[in-house]
Amino acid sequence: MWLVFQKEIKELLRDRKTLFFMIALPILLFPLIIGGAIYVGSKVVEGAKTEERSFAIIGGEYSSEFTQKLNDVEQFKLVELPADIDTKEEITAYVKADNVDFVIEIPENYSRDVLTNGKIVLTLYRNQAGLAVVESVLNKIVDEFSEEYQNVAFENLTLNEEQQKSLLEPIKIEQVNVADERETQGENIGGLIPYFIFMLCLQGAMLPASDLGAGEKERGTLETLLITPIERNKIVLGKFFTIAFAGVTSALVTVLSIAIWTTVLSQGAANEVVMKFMSSIGAIDFILVFLMLVPVVAIFAAVLLTLSIYARSFKEAQGYMTPLVFVVIIPVIFAMLPGVELKGIWAWVPLTNVALAIKELIKGTMDYVQLFAIFGSTAIIAGGLLAFCIHWFKQEKVLFR
Amino acid sequence: MIEINKLAKKFKVENPKKLSEQDKKDPRLQGRFFHSVKEVSFACQNGQVLGLLGPNGAGKTTTLRMLSTALQPDSGSIEIGGIDILQNPVEARRQIGFLSGGTGLYGRLSGRENIAYFGQLNGMSPKEIDKRISELSERLDMDTFLDRRSETYSTGMKQKASIARSVIHSPKVVILDEPTTGLDIMATQTVLNFIRDLKSQNVPVIFSTHHLDEVSELCDMVTIIDKGETMFDDTFDTFKAVAGPSLHEAFLESIGHNKNNKPVAQGE
Repeated sequence: MWLVFQKEIKELLRDRKTLFFMIALPILLFPLIIGGAIYVGSKVVEGAKTEERSFAIIGGEYSSEFTQKLNDVEQFKLVELPADIDTKEEITAYVKADNVDFVIEIPENYSRDVLTNGKIVLTLYRNQAGLAVVESVLNKIVDEFSEEYQNVAFENLTLNEEQQKSLLEPIKIEQVNVADERETQGENIGGLIPYFIFMLCLQGAMLPASDLGAGEKERGTLETLLITPIERNKIVLGKFFTIAFAGVTSALVTVLSIAIWTTVLSQGAANEVVMKFMSSIGAIDFILVFLMLVPVVAIFAAVLLTLSIYARSFKEAQGYMTPLVFVVIIPVIFAMLPGVELKGIWAWVPLTNVALAIKELIKGTMDYVQLFAIFGSTAIIAGGLLAFCIHWFKQEKVLFR
Repeated sequence: MIEINKLAKKFKVENPKKLSEQDKKDPRLQGRFFHSVKEVSFACQNGQVLGLLGPNGAGKTTTLRMLSTALQPDSGSIEIGGIDILQNPVEARRQIGFLSGGTGLYGRLSGRENIAYFGQLNGMSPKEIDKRISELSERLDMDTFLDRRSETYSTGMKQKASIARSVIHSPKVVILDEPTTGLDIMATQTVLNFIRDLKSQNVPVIFSTHHLDEVSELCDMVTIIDKGETMFDDTFDTFKAVAGPSLHEAFLESIGHNKNNKPVAQGE
């Protein structure tokens, strides 16, 4: 059996295509994609920030203070509104025709003394939703003035500081989170982790699996292998371990690559949070997460090999394996749904229960007795699938299709 | 020596609607089963070369696959040196060398690694493997390319490596399924020389072919099968005498077809 394993691994390591998908892709491509997305995103935001916006003011005479403040903003350019534009409809049409980026109307009652003159309602005419930057600048100005006018009003009312605070926020909800930090964060990301690991394992195992079964048929080496004095189950086991090994390696490489690149890119900033979170998870829980993965990877490897050996060619094998991704995604998605917990029926849904168990382990709220049941049932499924794969491998109608 | 007696093999027809018109007319199709090989018997003594002839779909490949233990016969017996190999197929495989025209090599391994892998699977020690490879390499003239990746090989090189691979464990019987199909003249010659070589070493060789010139060049015995049954099984000299000087005539005569009635090809 180890003979077959050794040879398959040797062959796998010499296959540039597989190596590329298993190692180069996660190490180089993921950071490139993520880095590229961040770069493009920041460029777009920066461009929006520095672009010049033209604007007009109606009723500027009511507040020289506000007009001045707007004029002071570097990328805002004041333009004169044509004299014939007066009504709301006319202004709307004028802005719509892209003559200016926005028009702001200052009301007659504008005054620092809001208690006497009432609430100030500014009207902003703007066209595109993309003017978020304008809005944020305006909000900043408005907030500044609001606070100033509030203070004026408070002074006039002769309220003390406590009264001011109560008036500003008469009712407030103060939260007391009984869950510790690990549990809170685990709830947030604990569902995603099994999803990623499952997918990575499956993807990483897929290519070698097609090569080891259907590939061997296609190249005409299978028949020769079958008539060597080695029992069929040993051939299957050798191939099975190769596929499982490839899946785990690929997943590990990807996880490590993401970890390393996040550290490099964030230069330790985000890392502190992650490190704190990670260090709160005990070594035993980490080991248990890996242990839980063992039967899952075994299930993947057995199913992939079964499909692969049935297929007549590499292409056919890939065709059978693609739907498998969806079959695996669904139970893992269940585990991410809010309200799905490791209780009742969900504890018995294969893959979903493992995903939930991993989440619980990360949160630190795992019931270890239940873990045995989940590990056991998953291992039984894996064993059954492997047994079927061996049986399948002895079928003449499968081997000589 | 190897002796085959009343070998039979049927395959279940999964979907009878998918069968071609020709298949449906084949008398071997009975209900849900296609009796690919119904009754095939022949024997090959040490030092003899047996040519297995028959039209496409006659059951040659199925017969040879049963001999190589890749397929399990439904009935009949296969004896090598008087021992029934069907009782213990795994052990029997140590005594059989098998090569077909369609066998390939692991492209990402070198020729040497390919051959050594099969030596290891046959339970040979690294020392034995090394010794045997250098022996075969000299005989087949493979020194120049043995350590290159086999995906870079030409057809002839591939065939040489495949031959070496199939006899690395010094088998007692060698079975070749259309070993020259698709090969150029040079590579074909390599295969024919290899068969001669085995013959001189007293190893019985069974090979199937469509080339009657190969038969006349090498074979001591001729077995012709058609529609899963042995139609002729005797010495080459007897075969030659069946219908005058033409071997083609002799072949057609043996499977019961005259010139105007072409044999019907069957899918296996």
